Amino acid sequence: MSAPDAPSAPLPQAGGVGGGPRTATPARLPWSTAWRLARADLSWRFRGLRLLLACLFLGVGALAAIGTLTGSIERELASRGRAILGGDIGLEVWQRELTPAETSALRALGRVSIGTRLQATATAGAATVPVQLKAVDGNWPLVGTMRLKDGRSVGAPPQGQAWLAEGAAERLGLLPGGRFTIAGQPLTVGGIIADEPDRLGEGFAWGVPVIVRAEFPATAGLTATGAQFRTRARVDFAAPYDPGEAADSLKRRFPTAGFALRTRDNAAPGAESFVERMGEFLVLVGLAALVIAGIGIGLGVASWLEGRRTSIATLKVLGATSGDIARITLLQVTAASFVAILAGLAAGVLATPLLAAALGQLLPVSSGFVFDPRALGVAAIYGLLVALVFTAPPLARARAFPAMALMRARVSSLALPWRHAALPVGLGLAAIVALALATAAQPKVTLGFLGGAAGTLALLGLLGWALRRLAARLPRPRGPLLRTALANLHRPGSQVPALVTALGFGLSAFVLLAAVQTSMSANIAARVPQRAPDFFVLDVPRERAGEFRSAVATAAPGAEVRMVPNLRGAILAYGPPGAMTRVADLPKVADNAWALRGERGLTYSDGVPEGNTLTAGHWWPKNYAGPPLVSVDEKLADAIGLRLGDHLSVSLLGVEREATIASFRRIDWDSMGFNYVLVFSPNMLADAPHNLAATIDLPMGPDGTKHRPPGLLRSLVRAFPAASVVETGPILRDARALLDQISLAILAAAGVAVLAGIAVLIGAIAAARAARIYDTAVLRVLGASRGQVLGVLLGEYGLLALLLALIALPLGSAVAWGIVVHLFGFEWLPDWPRILAVLGAGLVLILGFAAAATLPVLRARPAQVLREL
Amino acid sequence: MTSPAIRASGLTLTLGQTEILKGLDLDVAAGETLALLGPSGSGKSSLMALLTGLERASGGTLDVAGADFSALDEDALARARRGRIGIVLQAFHLLPTMTARENVATPLELAGEADAQARAADELAAVGLAHRLDHYPAQLSGGEQQRVAIARALAPRPPLLFADEPTGNLDAATGASIIDLLFERRAATGATLIIITHDPDLARRCARIVTLGDGRIVSDVRS
Repeated sequence: MSAPDAPSAPLPQAGGVGGGPRTATPARLPWSTAWRLARADLSWRFRGLRLLLACLFLGVGALAAIGTLTGSIERELASRGRAILGGDIGLEVWQRELTPAETSALRALGRVSIGTRLQATATAGAATVPVQLKAVDGNWPLVGTMRLKDGRSVGAPPQGQAWLAEGAAERLGLLPGGRFTIAGQPLTVGGIIADEPDRLGEGFAWGVPVIVRAEFPATAGLTATGAQFRTRARVDFAAPYDPGEAADSLKRRFPTAGFALRTRDNAAPGAESFVERMGEFLVLVGLAALVIAGIGIGLGVASWLEGRRTSIATLKVLGATSGDIARITLLQVTAASFVAILAGLAAGVLATPLLAAALGQLLPVSSGFVFDPRALGVAAIYGLLVALVFTAPPLARARAFPAMALMRARVSSLALPWRHAALPVGLGLAAIVALALATAAQPKVTLGFLGGAAGTLALLGLLGWALRRLAARLPRPRGPLLRTALANLHRPGSQVPALVTALGFGLSAFVLLAAVQTSMSANIAARVPQRAPDFFVLDVPRERAGEFRSAVATAAPGAEVRMVPNLRGAILAYGPPGAMTRVADLPKVADNAWALRGERGLTYSDGVPEGNTLTAGHWWPKNYAGPPLVSVDEKLADAIGLRLGDHLSVSLLGVEREATIASFRRIDWDSMGFNYVLVFSPNMLADAPHNLAATIDLPMGPDGTKHRPPGLLRSLVRAFPAASVVETGPILRDARALLDQISLAILAAAGVAVLAGIAVLIGAIAAARAARIYDTAVLRVLGASRGQVLGVLLGEYGLLALLLALIALPLGSAVAWGIVVHLFGFEWLPDWPRILAVLGAGLVLILGFAAAATLPVLRARPAQVLREL
Repeated sequence: MTSPAIRASGLTLTLGQTEILKGLDLDVAAGETLALLGPSGSGKSSLMALLTGLERASGGTLDVAGADFSALDEDALARARRGRIGIVLQAFHLLPTMTARENVATPLELAGEADAQARAADELAAVGLAHRLDHYPAQLSGGEQQRVAIARALAPRPPLLFADEPTGNLDAATGASIIDLLFERRAATGATLIIITHDPDLARRCARIVTLGDGRIVSDVRS
């Protein structure tokens, strides 16, 4: 060692020392310098920030995919809406033709097709068949292509010819070129219909379609004054007008015309509200994915910053201020976020055609790449906002990391980070709520969901805090392994609050999606297939019911036949016994009490009709023989103020009969089938002469499709000439396919959200794992076996997951119930075994990842692990 | 003695309920070399934390290189460190994701130096690491890492240089060479040097030895 150094140099001026050119010491680090430092300190592989990358990628990807998918479905439905309606807007008037003023108003909007619809009877030789006559002009079809079985694409048939539905041709026993008459006017079969573009939009009618030229009904005298016909017009817009505005404008211009107007946006009213609700559900799924991803983002950044504690302290030692640290870390997180968001957007764009390809022809989205700038922009903004909200608290904490951490002295307490985090978190949350509401179809539902999500997060946060406190107060177990496991729940730096929040939210989301999905499937399965028969048959003589079943069984072996009594009668009076209201005395019948007008279908039954739900009262027992009872549609009951025990009288073949109201039912009017406002106990109606209505469901062939036996219709028509056989299968199958497609789209979107949840689970476990490596190594050094350590870890995660599962089940179910019952207006029909299976799978997933994340540490030799720490 | 680099009067530090420094008076002349000795818990690191502005004093006055540290908040202290104070730590604390050159350039960039990278290269050359400019800390030996740390501390030409157990993580031979380098570079720059150490031999290389005990100065010896 040399001699002590003596004081030698004078004190140079502070801040003025240096050999090179120098600017004034900046009060705050310029962004350019901050970026240089951030870039130098940031691994290009984003080591440590991968959870942020993965979660933001998945969250933005899910939103981009959902946005693109929703946009595609909306566009597809909108384009189908045009096809279903046969134009952009349509109008209908009863028992008159359009006036020249009305016609010219329509022509001002674009190309117009005007025609007539009416019920008629076609006759060919001995065969007489009820038909739905559709008279079309030379412009028809405005949208889509009309195809015949022989492959021709056609418009309106030539004069004297008709296009016949296959059912009509069969029932009339005709082939192309064959002759038949309607209202005495001769027609030739010009071709058999293969694909009628606007069939779905024609609505339900008792008869098979026959298409003729527009002039035919007038020529045949079918549109004489008083005749029940409808004039129907469709407009193909010449410019991109708003259909709703155009319809409103027509209503305003012709206030007394009595137009029934429809637009391409509500071309299929039955499915429309369902589709709308589905769209909203997709948005909620996206927001759920976003919240889940947000938790992962927060966890990822917090974990990354913990790893950078010494680096941040070093920068502070070198002269960086808290503000400089905030700038540097903000730039690093922003850079990572941009990379993740761009990748997420790309994945979202790529996902749509992949999903479309995976789901084959079923998905109503275009199969090519869809670039939807609005959807991508919204997803990117959501991503940035979520990154801001969830990274602000850890970044604020990073500002306060003390430089003293590098030294051995004690450290004074940290500054409160919320002072710096409150503003960005508050602004970010406000922007998210504003964006969600601005883009929501049902803002109230979205607001409710956001409130629910915030409440859930708060609840889980509180639970995590409580769990930590409880673990700290529990008596210390004697065994060191159990003691370690318990200590892990509450020790400083414990990941329990974050884990509880992430896993609790993730498992709740699993339960929610499973409950919603199974309920929706159950609703669809319980209603649509059962009430989507292949044929409706009216007026089957009651005494020939067995013969009818035999005829069907012979022509179509394996077909399922359902038959219900079908009578007609009008409601005459209702109300408490002795104080009943006579319908004839009512000054005006309210719109929603339409069942009081004229005759209605009546039936009787021993049990609750399929697809109906009892909402009040009780059903009568089988073979009930007491005073006659009736079950009433709950909407009618609400409209006219009926109560259980009230009486209701109907006219039946000129005789008034009275029954006591025993129950109310909910009827799904959106679907087709035997929906009766009034269902009586059999002893009320069974003695009255009446016929039966029937539905026929054909069996599924070995190839998974239904094959209509060629002789079925003919044999039924010949055997039951008075019965009307209506082929409804193709129409209803179209509607059912649409619902299935939407259901699949939702499943696909939900799958992406679940994927985001899984990433968070992995991230949360990985973040917690880092804190346990040291314990594991020390325990191993002290003689714990790998099995023991693994057991402790799995036991700890298992207990935590089990506790969270017990919370997630009611929490997820409650939210799902709200969505199913209030958002969709469906019945709550969850498949509990499947939900529990999904929850169980979630638990297994957690334990699996916990084990997988721990195994590398367990495999390493303790000494090696300790050296590497 | 020339004008003081540090002037501390009645300096106290209390964290929670614990009184760590109990009224210290200390003047350090510019260019002086001073060793801080004392048993563990005597308050050496806490005193250094106050003198470097990493911690704020609970009481007393402190003037460091012309700046009144007792009147500055945390961020102002950070700014005051720039160009005034260089710190060498026992565990080196190089930024692992930056190369040697980037590590040395960082305090210059924070201080707004325009040619930070070039000066960092010069500084590394001065500590014998011209061939290691673009190596990451993980690619350097312990001795090399501490050389980078010394280069980083001295790069802004601070009038004050602090070293906290600078050889604590090094073997004896490497430690000796680092201490030689530290004194050599101090002499070249004329900085005031304050070293915290347990090593009496190292302390004896300084012109002044201050010993702490229980938060107070128990001896102050000039050679």
